[in-house]
Amino acid sequence: MTSAALKVDPVTVQILRNRIGGLMEEMAHHFFRSGYSTIVRESRDFSCVIVDRQGRLIASPPMFYHATAYYHLAQKIIELYGQSGFRDGDVFVGNHPYEAFTPHAPDMAVMAPIMADGELIGFSAAIAHKADIGGTVPGSSWGQATEIFQEGLMLPPMRLYQAGVLLEDIERLIAANSRQPRLVLGDLRSQTGAVRVGRERMQALAKAHGARVLCAALDEMIEAAGREMAAAFAKLPDGDSEAEAFLDNDGEQSQAPVRMHVRVRVRQGRVRFDFSDSSPQGRNPVNLRPPLVEACCFHALICLLDPALRYSDAAKPLVEIVAKPGTVLNALPPAPCSSYMKSCQRLIDVLIEALNPFCPSRAAAHAGGSGGSIVVAYGDGPRRVHHNQHEIFGSAYGGGAGHDGASGTTVHLSNIYVTPIEIIETEFPARVTRFELIPDSGGAGQWRGGLSFAREYEVQQPATVLYRGDKTKYPPRGLAGGRDGRTSRFLLDPGGPDERQTPANCRVELKPGERFRIEAPGGGGFGDRALRDPKAAARDVEDGYVRETTEAPPQ
Amino acid sequence: MKRYRIGIDVGGTHTDVVLTDASAASYRIEKLPSTPHNPAIAVLAGVERLLASGVEPHEIDFFGHGTTATTNALLEMNGAKTGVLINAGMRGVLEVQSQGRDGWSTFDHFFQRPEPLVRPAFVREIHGRVDYRGHEIEPLDEAAVREAARALHAQGVVSFAVLFLFSFMNDAHEKRAAALIREEAPGAFVSCSSAVLPRIREWPRYSTTIVNAYLAPVLARYCADVAEGLDGLNVTTRQRFLMQSNGGVMPLAADAEAHTVRTLLSGPAAGVRGASYLLGQLQGWRNLVTMDIGGTSCDIAFIEGGEPLEHADGVIDGRIVGAPALDIATVAAGGGSIAQLDAAGMPQVGPRSAGASPGPACYGRGGAQATVTDADLVCGALNPDFFLGGKAKLDLAAASDAIRRTIAEPMGIDVVTAASGIVRIVNARMTDAIRIEAAKKGVDLSDHTLVPFGGAGPVHAAQVAEDLGVPRVLVPRNPGAFSALGLLCTDVRHDYLRSELAALGELAPAHAHACFADLEARARAELAAEGLSASGAQFARACDMRYAGQGYELRVSLDGLPEPLDADALAALEERFHAQHAAVHGHSAKDTPVEIVSYRVRASAPMPKYAPTAETAAPQGPAPRPHGSRRLTLGPGRTVEAALWRREELSAGWTGEGPAIVEQVDSTTIVPDGWSVRCDAWGNLVLERRA
Repeated sequence: MTSAALKVDPVTVQILRNRIGGLMEEMAHHFFRSGYSTIVRESRDFSCVIVDRQGRLIASPPMFYHATAYYHLAQKIIELYGQSGFRDGDVFVGNHPYEAFTPHAPDMAVMAPIMADGELIGFSAAIAHKADIGGTVPGSSWGQATEIFQEGLMLPPMRLYQAGVLLEDIERLIAANSRQPRLVLGDLRSQTGAVRVGRERMQALAKAHGARVLCAALDEMIEAAGREMAAAFAKLPDGDSEAEAFLDNDGEQSQAPVRMHVRVRVRQGRVRFDFSDSSPQGRNPVNLRPPLVEACCFHALICLLDPALRYSDAAKPLVEIVAKPGTVLNALPPAPCSSYMKSCQRLIDVLIEALNPFCPSRAAAHAGGSGGSIVVAYGDGPRRVHHNQHEIFGSAYGGGAGHDGASGTTVHLSNIYVTPIEIIETEFPARVTRFELIPDSGGAGQWRGGLSFAREYEVQQPATVLYRGDKTKYPPRGLAGGRDGRTSRFLLDPGGPDERQTPANCRVELKPGERFRIEAPGGGGFGDRALRDPKAAARDVEDGYVRETTEAPPQ
Repeated sequence: MKRYRIGIDVGGTHTDVVLTDASAASYRIEKLPSTPHNPAIAVLAGVERLLASGVEPHEIDFFGHGTTATTNALLEMNGAKTGVLINAGMRGVLEVQSQGRDGWSTFDHFFQRPEPLVRPAFVREIHGRVDYRGHEIEPLDEAAVREAARALHAQGVVSFAVLFLFSFMNDAHEKRAAALIREEAPGAFVSCSSAVLPRIREWPRYSTTIVNAYLAPVLARYCADVAEGLDGLNVTTRQRFLMQSNGGVMPLAADAEAHTVRTLLSGPAAGVRGASYLLGQLQGWRNLVTMDIGGTSCDIAFIEGGEPLEHADGVIDGRIVGAPALDIATVAAGGGSIAQLDAAGMPQVGPRSAGASPGPACYGRGGAQATVTDADLVCGALNPDFFLGGKAKLDLAAASDAIRRTIAEPMGIDVVTAASGIVRIVNARMTDAIRIEAAKKGVDLSDHTLVPFGGAGPVHAAQVAEDLGVPRVLVPRNPGAFSALGLLCTDVRHDYLRSELAALGELAPAHAHACFADLEARARAELAAEGLSASGAQFARACDMRYAGQGYELRVSLDGLPEPLDADALAALEERFHAQHAAVHGHSAKDTPVEIVSYRVRASAPMPKYAPTAETAAPQGPAPRPHGSRRLTLGPGRTVEAALWRREELSAGWTGEGPAIVEQVDSTTIVPDGWSVRCDAWGNLVLERRA
């Protein structure tokens, strides 16, 4: 299709851009309202997008972890089936982190080519976390995995629908590999429903405006957002900086810290991120694939430049990423990669710290990052339990120039919701016994880090609990003289005679009546606490957020 | 003796008063400047103006009021000092909330939540717990409740929110705590989460209850002021009502402790209610999209089969308010929306607005930025000499200049092209909002009629309709006072809810019947307490249903199913759910078990309403003639010469052809080329697109 010569007026481009942005919201709404697993309907660990015929995003989803994966996935599908190998009604599915470019195997992608006048004009797609796709442990993400083959069923991109007809063999294959086939197929159908809505709406737009006009408009909106980003990048002063931080370890049994290091070089609005001095790839699943590193780099840049900027795949040439194959930031198969969230969150802190000098008015300390996640599989007891309890926790933002960090929230790259206590107790044999902010968990500073929270549970039937966290050893760092945020902890029998802390990744078996407690990490402080506005300091004490009057926060 | 009814709607700039004479089936409009510091002043001044014109106070037998008192108090953080009682160990629910960052860019690490309505120092933790089935597992610590109530009261707390887990299953602890608080803190308001919103998911329920507690004293005080004022003017009627978000009214003296949050959309609900009753039920326009365009926003709602769609998951100023409400979506696009170029040189319109002050450049109050109203003026849609019927002049040169400087010159295009571009973008934003909302709700727009109101609504409606593919626009007689008229078209309406999860396959019909009967008994008791007769009241039943494993429900009506319920009725209910799921989400799962999550009863006690009659006689006098013409630009290469008509000269039976512009005191209607227009028997202008 030759759309390069076609010029669409800016008003029409703007109208179509708003329309497609709204369409993505509509897809997401249908998905979580009709989804089955708590990970979709309560946590909302998914994204829905429209991309152009090369796979470039029209608008980025709030779940930015997924944003960069779609381009690589679309390119792979085109490579496999050919630009002219699609038929109207085809739908592809894939979850293989190395073949389908999803962040980790539980994230299953569904992608439907959008055909108009017999030609490919784009793709409608969604990525969503699945409750269980087999593998060694319930929920499929195992902190001790050493190969992706232990992380469940791997689907390279393949057809799920052919010209509108469901290939039931694929559904049966997925169902047969899951501990929770009904939940997974229910979610997959909701996801496919959302993708189908996106495809139909785009086809209607192509009909109304003409496919050529629509494609030219898509080009223009992607390139306009790219120009907007280029204009923002151009304001970055030339310079060099570096930063590093450590993951506590690369898995359950290892105590070897994992180094994430970046050298940033800015020259005339172009940015080079060199990760060469980062650790070799981990034995356990802390590893990242290149699309996620790309997402982190762009996320950090947009955070610091202007949060109203629209990410565009057309801005990729402005950024050069150097990550040696075989390192934790460019792992080679079959390295496991299911714990990507905590690695990305740690990487974001490193990137923001390195970029702070370029954008001092939006500089910030380290955030709490991932508050960890739990999967609880219940054994027999008086209550029938149909699925795993799966929760993802936020933490707190770090303080920054002119702002205290927000407390008890998901940070960076995603917008994950907490599962309501009343949903947990209604659906699972568990009781939430405490849910509270942790006083003094935010790093002190002129701008205080946000406070993290603790959640305490009592199981009422035998339960296997898988916890994956980080920042038990290396706290969220305070910057510019601010104090570190509090480290995270996972405690068994909290406050009881047997209270004990587990490693950041663990699998524990609990008997009815036993309790565990999650404490997410707090945000780092920014600036010297001596400079804090006395009124703000007094209010912190009044609100119970700060109890100490002494210097050191407890570690 | 005459019988009058009054409707008074308070808006941001004007307070609109509508007076109907019940026997004459006609109405009269008064517009007064609003008094934002105390809205009751303009309300009572409006009543006084009617009395001065010869209406006797004892001849008034209905007073309907749409208020923004609670909404404004919330936006301005002007509510009461509020305290919270919450389960021991659970104050994190108030701090972490949803854990999400809705309304913020994912990239903004300076995210902040709205200022809390209750500071942590006013939150007290109380031992006592019930489980998910509603069984008590720890008794309420009554001594702690008393101590907390005393201490908070001593600190100046005048309103309490009581927030206990699973109170929607068993409200005993919340009720007992409320009683103890009343003993210890006489005169204080107490809002219980089980009374305000008895629904699963603690944070939305608690957020709603806190908003209720924060505003209950405000509403009670405001209503007392209005009531006293009416007494002082010798208005004797007991039929004094407030518009609720759900499109029904409640007595001015209703229970603020449970119902305050139901008034937060009082203003926008009145117009939608007016459309559903007048146009939908009375005049037979069954399927409508309403579009109420003001200075900063456009409110959109759908009317299906004569009834407005509703929802229960509202967000107001970043705070969750889960009260039953007409499903009104607001898009930040109105007459004052500012047009500007973004960093990449792409034109944007809104969400920023020039508001009422300084307002659009053409108002001549110092506004320098180009707004939608400026663009309308430059395109020829508005008459600079006939704004508000000539009471105000619009400055065309200032409007052109603003558009030239900020849009046309930087883009290298002429001013009229730029202006029509602004109009196209803002129209498209409204179109998009309508389309997205329609899709979310499963509304098929192809058989709908667009109803614009608010002064600017009819200026944009036909072009929005073109873009939507909707073939018809219906402009009511007085678009600028339509919300006030809506206040005279309502019933008393109360909603009752009981959450109790059950598998439909295992549900005994007798138990479902008992649940509904219980809600209905509560409804009858409340109507009686308000001095209203339950004998003429209607009770509509519905269930919130989902597939087992889902977390969100669809509301399914039991309308037409037999009473008492039997097994066949429940089977029919299940079929309705499958069909509705397919219609809304595009798929259904007949092999998956269905659950009932909640039972709902809506009680409606009918009120006398404004009842226009259709014009049947042929129009008298000479046929109206156009008052000249004006150049009107509707898009690229679409500049036409439009005939000008005066609305008051058009009566039933009149027909005209676009391009035309119909001017009236409270609005302007644009009829594009390709459209016809006629005045129907009810006094509406009906615009239709020629095939």
